[in-house]
Amino acid sequence: MTAYFLRRLRQSVVLLILVTIVAFGLMHLAPGGPEAVYALSPGMRAEDLQRIRASFGLDQPLPVQYVKWAAGMLTGDWGRSYRDSRPVRDVIFDRIPATLELTVTALAIAIVVGVSLGVLGALRQRSLPDYLATIGAMVALSVPTFWFGLMVIFVFAERLGWIPSGGRETLGADFSLADRLHHLIAPALVLGLVLVATWSRYTRASMIEVVNQDYIRTARAKGLGERRVIWGHAFRNAAGPLVTLAGLQIPFLFSGALVTESVFTWPGMGRLFVDSLGYRDYPVLMGVLVVTALLVIGSNLAADLLVAVVDPRIRFR
Amino acid sequence: MATKPASAATAPPPAAIPATDALLRTDARAASPWRMAARRFFAHRLAAAGLVISILLILSAILAPALAPRDPLQISILDKFQPPLTGGFLLGADEVGRDLLSRLLYAGRISLLVGFAAMAVTVLVGTVIGLVAGFYGGRPDAILMRLTDALLCFPTVFLLLVLAAFVGASLLSITLIIGLTSWMELARILRNQTLALREQDYVQAGRALGASNRRLIVRHLLPNSLAPIMVAATLNIANAVLAESYISYLGYGIQPPAASWGNMLNNAQSYFQNAPWIALFPGVLITLTVASFNFVGDGLRDALDPRARR
Amino acid sequence: MIRHHDDVMRLADQVRAGRLSRREFFARAVAAGFSLTMASSFLAPGRASAAPTRSLARQAEPKKGGQVIVGFSQEPTVFNPLKSTLEVDRGVQYSLFDSLWRIDDKGALIPNLATELPSVENGGIGKDGLSYTFKLRNDAKWHDGQPFTAKDVLFSHAAIMNPDFAAGNRIGHDKITDISAPDDHTVTMKLSEAYAPFLIVWMDTYLIPEHLLKDVKDLNTADFNSIAPVGTGPFKWVERAPGDHITVAANPDYHGEGPYLDKIIFKYVPDLTVFFTQFKTGEIDATGIQGITADNYAEAKTLQGKTIYNAPSPFVEFIYMNFGKPVFQDKAVREAMYAGMDKQNIIDKVYYGLPAPSETYLPEASWAFDPDLPAQKFDVEQAKQTLDAAGWKPGADGIREKDGVKLSFTTSTTAGNKVREQAQQYLQQTWKEAGIDMQINNMPAAVIWGDYYNKSQYDTVMIGLNAGLGADPDGTTRFGSNYIPAQGGGGQNTMQYKNPDLDKLLDAGAKELDQAKRKEIYFKVQQVLRDDLAYLPIFHYVTIEGTKEGLQEYKPSVFVVSNQWNTNVWSWA
Repeated sequence: MTAYFLRRLRQSVVLLILVTIVAFGLMHLAPGGPEAVYALSPGMRAEDLQRIRASFGLDQPLPVQYVKWAAGMLTGDWGRSYRDSRPVRDVIFDRIPATLELTVTALAIAIVVGVSLGVLGALRQRSLPDYLATIGAMVALSVPTFWFGLMVIFVFAERLGWIPSGGRETLGADFSLADRLHHLIAPALVLGLVLVATWSRYTRASMIEVVNQDYIRTARAKGLGERRVIWGHAFRNAAGPLVTLAGLQIPFLFSGALVTESVFTWPGMGRLFVDSLGYRDYPVLMGVLVVTALLVIGSNLAADLLVAVVDPRIRFR
Repeated sequence: MATKPASAATAPPPAAIPATDALLRTDARAASPWRMAARRFFAHRLAAAGLVISILLILSAILAPALAPRDPLQISILDKFQPPLTGGFLLGADEVGRDLLSRLLYAGRISLLVGFAAMAVTVLVGTVIGLVAGFYGGRPDAILMRLTDALLCFPTVFLLLVLAAFVGASLLSITLIIGLTSWMELARILRNQTLALREQDYVQAGRALGASNRRLIVRHLLPNSLAPIMVAATLNIANAVLAESYISYLGYGIQPPAASWGNMLNNAQSYFQNAPWIALFPGVLITLTVASFNFVGDGLRDALDPRARR
Repeated sequence: MIRHHDDVMRLADQVRAGRLSRREFFARAVAAGFSLTMASSFLAPGRASAAPTRSLARQAEPKKGGQVIVGFSQEPTVFNPLKSTLEVDRGVQYSLFDSLWRIDDKGALIPNLATELPSVENGGIGKDGLSYTFKLRNDAKWHDGQPFTAKDVLFSHAAIMNPDFAAGNRIGHDKITDISAPDDHTVTMKLSEAYAPFLIVWMDTYLIPEHLLKDVKDLNTADFNSIAPVGTGPFKWVERAPGDHITVAANPDYHGEGPYLDKIIFKYVPDLTVFFTQFKTGEIDATGIQGITADNYAEAKTLQGKTIYNAPSPFVEFIYMNFGKPVFQDKAVREAMYAGMDKQNIIDKVYYGLPAPSETYLPEASWAFDPDLPAQKFDVEQAKQTLDAAGWKPGADGIREKDGVKLSFTTSTTAGNKVREQAQQYLQQTWKEAGIDMQINNMPAAVIWGDYYNKSQYDTVMIGLNAGLGADPDGTTRFGSNYIPAQGGGGQNTMQYKNPDLDKLLDAGAKELDQAKRKEIYFKVQQVLRDDLAYLPIFHYVTIEGTKEGLQEYKPSVFVVSNQWNTNVWSWA
């Protein structure tokens, strides 16, 4: 197992290098640049713009820039943001708590709602609730998030005044958990509902397979309560693939929050990425990409290992 | 964002036994597996409903020039924000006084065109890479699969945005961008399946008889891969339609004056208060389209994968 | 307490209004270090109208306390005022930093960190216009308690000229040949040539502290720029939550009037729809950049408990044509394009009748604005005739052509600006009627305002900008033949417009110090540009902004880039 793990790790490193080269080249060769935001300021001249470019090191040949960047990454220096000149690592790490807060809540909502609907669907296949749940989950998956989010804001914040229309906390007020939750609920629901369809579908498929197995019949025959049969036996056995799914969704949530974060003024990683993209803040973009790639690779690896632990049938080759 | 979960759905159910077994069983059990599949598909009521709606949407897009009551580009600045059923506008007028119904019909052409064209790119790239990697194995497989993994490292929306931001917006570029960022799942599925298939007796037999690699791939492997390809294709249309709207929202979408449902929806955001209908209709159409294709895709998967029998 | 001559004037107003006794006034003024004669001069009858005071309307001493949440749709990120001059960054910098003199909403310069405005009369400016002496106040302190001195002025200038530092711009400072400080509160300098906008340059040069920054290795990446700015302004830095907000708190030792508020929070709300919603729900108290969009104006006016400001801005909306493309060198084409523009409907229907039509690059509030330029008339027939006469004949597809060249081009602007896209599409339609084919090719800001604009790769752009030099009408770097970046010149003449007559006028205008004479010159400049149609002006922007009712002294000003320029006197009623 250690050998397998090491091999996967080695592949991942090569992968990461490949990814950074492609991303770096793509970004720098494309038109536009970070100096553009200053172009229309009063008194701005071409030579001023050139000086600003040079201060970012953008006047050097591309391979030199890449090597510098890569060497920096290896020594823990991720470079500095063009936008606010802070170290990229700080810029990114500052955003992680907000993103985690939102995505973990959203994932929890998705799992609770999705799994419940999935189990319901599996137990009462082709019933009206099954249809309604399937349709509801599919609609949530199919609605453009930004539209859904803005509708939620329009109805619940502007018209009804039940929720704030964005932000993570009431500004200028002292910290309060209730206030934080109040701000969190709408974006987390909007983000979470998108995932419900995936969760309910997987759960449903997985459960259908399990409920027809012999040991479930045996459990029923033993006279175990239906609730214990379902949750204690059937669901536990159906849960294996769901662990993989959770692992696969964590990195998605980091980026999937991108639109939700924009709509709900949530100061997370996704929003950072969009802003940095608009500004052509290459060091931050590269930093976010590397962090995300690491997360994907890491969570894939973790999910594989977890499944192996959960499911004794799997052996490593 | 929904681009990812829906594409995650193209993966076979996680605990799937190899699809080859399924196919062999199908072959053994029924003379006409396609008819069986069709029967299973139509037994799935939501899938059938999805198919009907999809066909209606496609027809309305094709017939847009005949159906549209007005020129979708004709600006009539005095008619801005005419509510539905007034001033000769069935569904009202938009922010510069263009007929909303006509625009929706023409926008459907672009949105569905993006959907189908991006799907074609996805299927083409995904199939070629999947089959080649799976069939040849070894070094080609390693290289192609590392490439696939590399792209999978980035959440789709990151790739979409980076490319859209750097390449510039046009119908072609948006289509290519969406297509080129969503083939990886399909490639993986096909590669794994092919890896198993090529060891099957009939492939080995074909090889022993001196069939060329190309012939083996086209004649034997491809037909056996049709099921996952069809499922992936349908789900990818849904994904692409949705992805187009996100690109519009983030400011990198189809250029005016051409309309797509995505840029119509995005342009209408500011007018929720005064003219909710111009935001409502494109939003509903996107949702309807995406949901319909997703249901069709789900139905296809159930129908073509007999293991998911009821 | 009186700390500044602004304050004296405000007190003088109170005396005139009968709310303050003369004796009390003199006592306070003298305590603040003004001589009796000086103080009495403030009370002189003729003074009231001349005094550029902001406080005439105020009834009582402003209430202290409270906070204001200002919304921005872009995120302020650079707080070193020499590094970034972006509107959104300035919005925060104005509260943290001061310059030698500020500019009020009438365009008058008012001493701030200087005790007086240099002039030829007071000896601050040499007769040849080449030497300047600035007198600095001695009671201003940095937020860390250190005194503000002439060293800080020298340091700020040196930083701007430092080749390793990415200063926002160097305009004006690069004409200083010799600068020194005879004592801690005097700065003298010499210029290489007379330069009329020089005082405006210093008005917009916000000063940074020498004692904190002189030993910093790389000023480009100093923490000062992003998380620890220290200024002399009415508010002190508190914190920044990246992607969310910035908090500043009252500076109790401020040398000028105020501040009255306890704190100001600058909140970043990227989605414009949500931005307006947050204003409606009261989650933001004031809408900073980019204010309320025209399409929300009607609704904004009806809101309860909100005050809506509809104020002119220094920006003018133009179509810039690239003279590097042969088709635009034909004046008939430019004339036809202008005649084919339905300006009135663009303004009335797309922009809800808010902006005023423009014929020039200067804002209406500028002292050099020429109000008598000929007004454009929308006339498609006229456009057709002009093109016919010039030999542009309609082809089979209705698009005109001449000598095999099609009258077809693209126009670009920042993608996502919805109202502007509407104007573009309407323009596209009316031009098409005249046989002019225009395709829309909008791009993200970082692309269009990058090389595409700066290296003149465009056909036309729809652009909103202040083509003068801030509050000064000097347009040399925008329209002068020697300032074409695509042809190796510095500057920002990306239209590649060349006109020797204009060059001479611009040069004379920049060197003339007498404002009356300058005005004549700039009238001519505007006439030449209008007559030749160097650009197609569309309208003068208005800024629609709103505050919660009761926010006092919120004053949109055409002379600054962001309306948070006077937060020191903001207060809640």
